Amino acid sequence: MSEVKDREYFKKLAQQLLFRLSDEEADSIVKEFSTLEKQMALLDAVDTEGVEEMIYPFEEDTYFLREDEVSHVISQEEAVKNVSKKVEGHFVLPKVVK
Amino acid sequence: MEYDVTIGIEIHCQLKTNTKMFSGAPTSFGRMANTCVNEIDLGHPGTLPCLNKEAVAKAIQACTALHLEIDPLVKFDRKNYYYSDLPKGFQITQQFHPIGRNGYIKIVTDEGEKKIRINRIHMEEDTAKQFHLSKMSLLDFNRAGTPLVEIVSEPDMHNGQEAEKYVEALRQTLYYLGVSDAKMEEGSMRCDVNVSISPKGSGKLGTKNEIKNLNSISHIGKAIDYEVERQKELIEKGEEILQETRRFDEKTNTTVLMRRKEGNVDYKFFPEPNIFPIRLDPAWIKEIQENMGELPEERKERYLNQYGLSEHDVDILIANKEMSEFYENIMKHTDNAKSACNWLLGDVSAYLNKHELSIENSSLKPEAIAKLVALVDEGKISGAQAKKLVDDMMEGKDPEESAKEKGMAQVSDASALTDMVNSVLDANPQAIEDFKNGKDKAIGFLVGQVMKVSKGTANPAMVNSILKEELSKR
Amino acid sequence: MIKELAKNKEGAKERCLKAYEEAKKLQDKLNHVITFIDPSEQCEEIKEGKMAGVPIALKDNVNTKGIKTTAASQILSNYVPIYDAHIATKLKDAGAVCIAKTSMDELAMGGTNLTSFIGPAYNPWDTRRMTGGSSGGSAAIVASGTVPMAIGSDTGDSVRKPASFCGVVGVKPTYGRISRYGIIPYASSLDHVGYFTRSVEDAALTLEVLAGRDDRDMTSSYREVEAYSELLNGDLKGKRIAILKNVTDALHEEETRKIFFDLMKKMEEKGAIVEEVSLDENLMKAILPTYYLIANCEATSNHSNLDGLRFGYREEGSDMQEIMTNTRTKGFGPLIRRRFVIGSYGLFEENQERLFRKGQKVRRLIVEEVKSCLEKYDAIVAPASGSIAPLIDAQKDQDELSDEYLITENYMALANFSGYPSMTVPMGFIDGCPIGINITCGAFEEVKMFNIAEGIEEITGYKDLKAEVK
Repeated sequence: MSEVKDREYFKKLAQQLLFRLSDEEADSIVKEFSTLEKQMALLDAVDTEGVEEMIYPFEEDTYFLREDEVSHVISQEEAVKNVSKKVEGHFVLPKVVK
Repeated sequence: MEYDVTIGIEIHCQLKTNTKMFSGAPTSFGRMANTCVNEIDLGHPGTLPCLNKEAVAKAIQACTALHLEIDPLVKFDRKNYYYSDLPKGFQITQQFHPIGRNGYIKIVTDEGEKKIRINRIHMEEDTAKQFHLSKMSLLDFNRAGTPLVEIVSEPDMHNGQEAEKYVEALRQTLYYLGVSDAKMEEGSMRCDVNVSISPKGSGKLGTKNEIKNLNSISHIGKAIDYEVERQKELIEKGEEILQETRRFDEKTNTTVLMRRKEGNVDYKFFPEPNIFPIRLDPAWIKEIQENMGELPEERKERYLNQYGLSEHDVDILIANKEMSEFYENIMKHTDNAKSACNWLLGDVSAYLNKHELSIENSSLKPEAIAKLVALVDEGKISGAQAKKLVDDMMEGKDPEESAKEKGMAQVSDASALTDMVNSVLDANPQAIEDFKNGKDKAIGFLVGQVMKVSKGTANPAMVNSILKEELSKR
Repeated sequence: MIKELAKNKEGAKERCLKAYEEAKKLQDKLNHVITFIDPSEQCEEIKEGKMAGVPIALKDNVNTKGIKTTAASQILSNYVPIYDAHIATKLKDAGAVCIAKTSMDELAMGGTNLTSFIGPAYNPWDTRRMTGGSSGGSAAIVASGTVPMAIGSDTGDSVRKPASFCGVVGVKPTYGRISRYGIIPYASSLDHVGYFTRSVEDAALTLEVLAGRDDRDMTSSYREVEAYSELLNGDLKGKRIAILKNVTDALHEEETRKIFFDLMKKMEEKGAIVEEVSLDENLMKAILPTYYLIANCEATSNHSNLDGLRFGYREEGSDMQEIMTNTRTKGFGPLIRRRFVIGSYGLFEENQERLFRKGQKVRRLIVEEVKSCLEKYDAIVAPASGSIAPLIDAQKDQDELSDEYLITENYMALANFSGYPSMTVPMGFIDGCPIGINITCGAFEEVKMFNIAEGIEEITGYKDLKAEVK
């Protein structure tokens, strides 16, 4: 965790999330980050030694499992309805270079 | 220099369920694009996952057969990354709490029996399929959301043969259980092999290289052998082995670089908030475990004991579940285990291979083979004649009828046979000479001549004794 | 009220069309609607039910099949859902007629309704002021009297805060009480479907329609849905009420304090036992950072499906990476992208222990604190906001580290961490603008919560308040 939290750091981070940040946007995150760190310090002020994470608001066991019967399938037309380009019922991408 | 070779294998297996892991859309193979999906599989906003009971049941079966400890609390996690075949932008998997841990499977190699340990089995969902054309790629989400189990071995294997045996043993087990079709060539079972080498006795592990895109078990050994040699060469040249992902090229039997692994990808694993932990009913688990089909190892034992077949024959029989089940159906109608087995593994298999059929989609009936065996055993037709009935039988014809139509009644009438024998003896004075001079081969030749004259219908045992008798008269 | 409207089926078409026209008329002043839905077709076939022929509105993060649903974000600006949210179906089955998809903060990530892609929503009581968010559009459409009920969603206080600013009843029931299937998510472990009405009676009836197990939402509750409206009883005698002192201590607006404590006195006069309670101050200060962490981390992951490939806004590019990146850059507003950066940061393997998981641990401690308080009291109450709705233009630089900001303005997330039912009802007016009181009860204790709210409503007389939009 030795990286400096500067403009470039956040721009790179955004890239990993598949979007871009302008210089101004990255700069404002840098600024916000210091407020954030102070707010995180409030978290650190709470002693959580031996405390388990709370992932769900309720922690009772559940038992439900869905029966393995086809219950809901949509038409090919509906499946690709929300895109403009389709080829024989497929979604289309320009060539992927992996 | 000698090297220790360390091999670990990760297998992804599609589960044979009706619906997807987290949605009620059907699982499928070979259907028209995007016709087996719903909004959940397409990752539409606002959708939520709903866990498939049968997928859990099959995962439990796999864990049980492979001796893993089952975690009765089912929990899921998110594996976050972006790719066009990943509709939600994360995969729901079981990173922190796999359903099964610490199991094993036994394999038999040239060096004997060995246990390969299995680190974990966990449930997750499959991605969509991409087709690459020259200028574009097409996405089909039929496969997206198909239930998978991932089986991770310990790095207990040390050569290509062990790896192949491991994968084959797993494949057979999963297939027998009905958990998966486990067909590598169809993609319902996928293998990633990790290979590293290090100087013998050094105690350290070398850099792992991952081999993907192996389409058949026979490729596994070849890929590993090549990879080991490749890595050895690099070390001897003094070069560093980089961590790479490679694919097997079947044309050249080599592994080819796909991509370098630059550091580790951070998948930001965290527990799936939309699925509360599910406590599995121990009675339900027990019910599943008690009702699992017979496992290959159990069937092998049974066949050796019940039918007295050779180990070699048993191995071939059980390698194909349908074949062994067909065999058992034959055995409902006959007692001659050895004969039935010989027919099945011999002429029947040859026919199936030639016509590219499998036993389940041929028209052959188990009773037909039992009948064939009976016809021969009762001396009604000869073995040679029986072979001629195979083709018709494979097309569903009753062998007894076939035999009648072909006029194949085995001649067992002593006087008719005696006539045949004598006509052959008359025509082959040299053979009689040879026999009298102690050449036993002459008998075989003469029997053959009688069979020829009779167009294969003569009862060979009787021909033999009658021949000896007539020869003694001459 | 809704019950009476539903009985009058003949008047359905007329009142639904009237509501639709009124919403359109107010759009210029309030900017509260993203998509108007002409109710004529729906009115042809009104189902018998508790909301027969009652015009309602849905927050635009509720999927409506065939009707554009945008979550107020460019990235979904053209998204037409191929399925109905569970509650959309339930409302239809109860006879309700939807006349509008209301504005909200983009992707529900905000507390002002200033970040909607159609611009800010304006408060019906004073159009210079904000409605609050993220369910601002729904709060406004109810406050203006256009419809008696509108759906919202509440992840940190997104129903209960705008309810305070708009002088309406805003309900967030227990987690899992209402199915989230079909609700465009924000943070899954904190998201609740909520709603606005102008009376507690209507709020109780609405829950009967919305609540119930949905197998498609594995977090939805099996608990029986009670006859909330029939069980409604505003008798406050013997009700033990805990005033959350941490909130009132940090509160500086004198008028608010006066209104609130006056109400407390009146409640005591009605037989309620009212006591001040202080929860651990460090935990109270940690509420906001805990919320930010958990919410942003989960949201970043939840919205990874918004990439332009299968639906929604799409920018072109030469390959998958470019398409996704161009789409997400143009599709998400700057505040959203900022939040995602922070959220992602908190989830990195190297940071998770210190950030995300730490937040989850503090969540547990906060919930335990609230739980033990509710073991001794029937309800926790406090003002739902420090003051009335802020002026949009005079956005003062809030000290984001002050107790007032951390606690008074953001404490209601307690009910999202715990999943406990919580609601806001109007308690008074300052400068002609309303302000509300927030009530939180124990898990699945909606009956108790509605009853206490009813008792308060009986005291204040603030039932069916309608803003006159000037």
